[in-house]
Amino acid sequence: MNLVNRTNKYYLIFFIFLFPLMVAVDYYLIKYVVNKEVDEILIHESERITFSLNENGELPSSSYLLSITPIDKDFPVLNNKSRDTLIYQAYKDKLVPHRTYDFGAKINSKKVKISLKHALLEMNKLIIWLFVTTTLIILLLVVGLFLINQGIYKWAWKPFFENLSKLTNYDVTKKSPVQLENSSIAEFQELNQIVTVLMDQVRKDFQNLKEFNENISHEIQTPLAIIRNKMVLLLESQNLNKKELQWVQTVYQEANKLSKIGKSLTLISRIENQEFTRLDNVDVRAVVENIVSNMEEMIAFKDLKMDVKLNPVTMKCDLILINILLTNLIKNAIQHNHERGSIKILLNEKKFEIVNTGKVSKVETAQLFNRFQRGDKTKESLGLGLAINKKICELYGFQLDYGYHDEKHKLSLGFNK
Amino acid sequence: MKILVIEDNVELLKDIKNFLEDQGNICEIASDYQSALMKAVIFPYDILVVDIMLPDGTGLDIIKEVKKENIDVGIIIISAKNAVGDKVNGLEIGADDYLTKPFYLAELNARIKALYRRKAYKGSKEIIFNEIKIRPENHEIFVNDRLMSLTKKEFDIIHFFVANRNRLLTKEAIAEHLWGDHIEMADSFNFIYTHLANLRKKITKFGGKDYIKSIYSVGYKFSD
Repeated sequence: MNLVNRTNKYYLIFFIFLFPLMVAVDYYLIKYVVNKEVDEILIHESERITFSLNENGELPSSSYLLSITPIDKDFPVLNNKSRDTLIYQAYKDKLVPHRTYDFGAKINSKKVKISLKHALLEMNKLIIWLFVTTTLIILLLVVGLFLINQGIYKWAWKPFFENLSKLTNYDVTKKSPVQLENSSIAEFQELNQIVTVLMDQVRKDFQNLKEFNENISHEIQTPLAIIRNKMVLLLESQNLNKKELQWVQTVYQEANKLSKIGKSLTLISRIENQEFTRLDNVDVRAVVENIVSNMEEMIAFKDLKMDVKLNPVTMKCDLILINILLTNLIKNAIQHNHERGSIKILLNEKKFEIVNTGKVSKVETAQLFNRFQRGDKTKESLGLGLAINKKICELYGFQLDYGYHDEKHKLSLGFNK
Repeated sequence: MKILVIEDNVELLKDIKNFLEDQGNICEIASDYQSALMKAVIFPYDILVVDIMLPDGTGLDIIKEVKKENIDVGIIIISAKNAVGDKVNGLEIGADDYLTKPFYLAELNARIKALYRRKAYKGSKEIIFNEIKIRPENHEIFVNDRLMSLTKKEFDIIHFFVANRNRLLTKEAIAEHLWGDHIEMADSFNFIYTHLANLRKKITKFGGKDYIKSIYSVGYKFSD
């Protein structure tokens, strides 16, 4: 539930509770005020009647007079109370709510109780009107608040939502910083500041890490070259016994491995950095044909049966990358094959597919594309080939799928064109 | 042939110099931009081997300067950057070849020889080693003047061997020469082993001597 809906929900709940409360409070308040007012009128009238009786012993005419009842004792002082009561009105033929006021007096030395009355008819109508107006006010408040809320949501939160979508698309590998929308609201300004600082920090850290990785990959290459050269000199010197020779050979091989790791990691980070921006018109069929012919002797050496079906396909991408990708795939099909096995290559507008015989892989398919993951640990491979492939596929939006059926590996590369 | 090697790492520089001098070349060295530029402009060389990253400048500027002075020299870039951009830049401003560090000295040697032959003899020079004659531009090899039929890789192997005669060629160096950089081929060593056996047979069948010697299990040497 978004912010505006949630706010509206709480407003609504609040008003639902507030409404009966307000009506009740208003009702009793107004009733109290009206009663007090009426009581005052009646008390004033009673004083006028008492005064007239005391002065000249006559009962003055009064429109408020309800009844005069003779009583035995004195009218109790504390008992001259006002009450609500229903009195039958003949002209209306119904009971009408009245306020009455009793007080004691003497007429011709006789004790009497005089009751005065005042109709409450208009007051009841007022209360109904009150109810209606309160309802109206509250409705207007609800609608007004709802509209204001919508307005605030659209206007004041606009930069917030724009920033949100910008941050959603934020890519730490991109060098350009995200420019956040300004807002006149202090909280949003503060948020922008904090987010900007955070993003800068993240980007800086990422850049540092990346540069560190790249530098390591570069910087090891020259020392490795020297190690390798010296090892070859040692091997050529012919003064070594068999054991020493093996040691030197091991160092040489490991140095080679290290160098290959460095080169592959450099390649991966350069793909990640999007340094391959060339868009050549690549004739994919020619690339595949070229790779297959380069591997021809190796294929013949393993006595593999080739079934190559290539349709003409051209694509806009970097020739070097597409060459690395396809070489890796074809090379893998040769390498992870057994003698007198078979390879089937298919190329059309939609996909490049390569199916080859070979042993089943022990690694989960998803992990197969991770760095240093190998299907077959016994072989001399580094497991970086597929990671490179994955990076190239990510760059161009290719879909790389792997499956194993009927003792055959099947790798298909969807071009998504 | 006369070669100037420009490289800021002195140890690597010594390795390259020793290797190239063993091959009968005159090899001079420079380890910084200033002295390299001076030598390259003043003295005549057949080949310049240029490292891109130098302490006080870039090898690309040296190449530009040499090209501006219209000096006719073959140029090979060696760089640790492995950046395709560098490669493209280098070749665009007039370098002839590009090697990524770490390279095998045998590979550098083969590239230098191939470049020298292209420049000095327009590629038409035959390479002769006793009874073996190589015509690189036609991918042809003759033994006792009889043309051997070879696959492309077999030709590449012999060509590589003859260019690096009397030197130990490790299996790794041969594999990289045959298939290039980013390929890690588990079967390549078996392949090389089998093919060399075939090649020996072929050459002896044509009356040639068996020059390919296996050095322990490390690699091979092509020598008398």
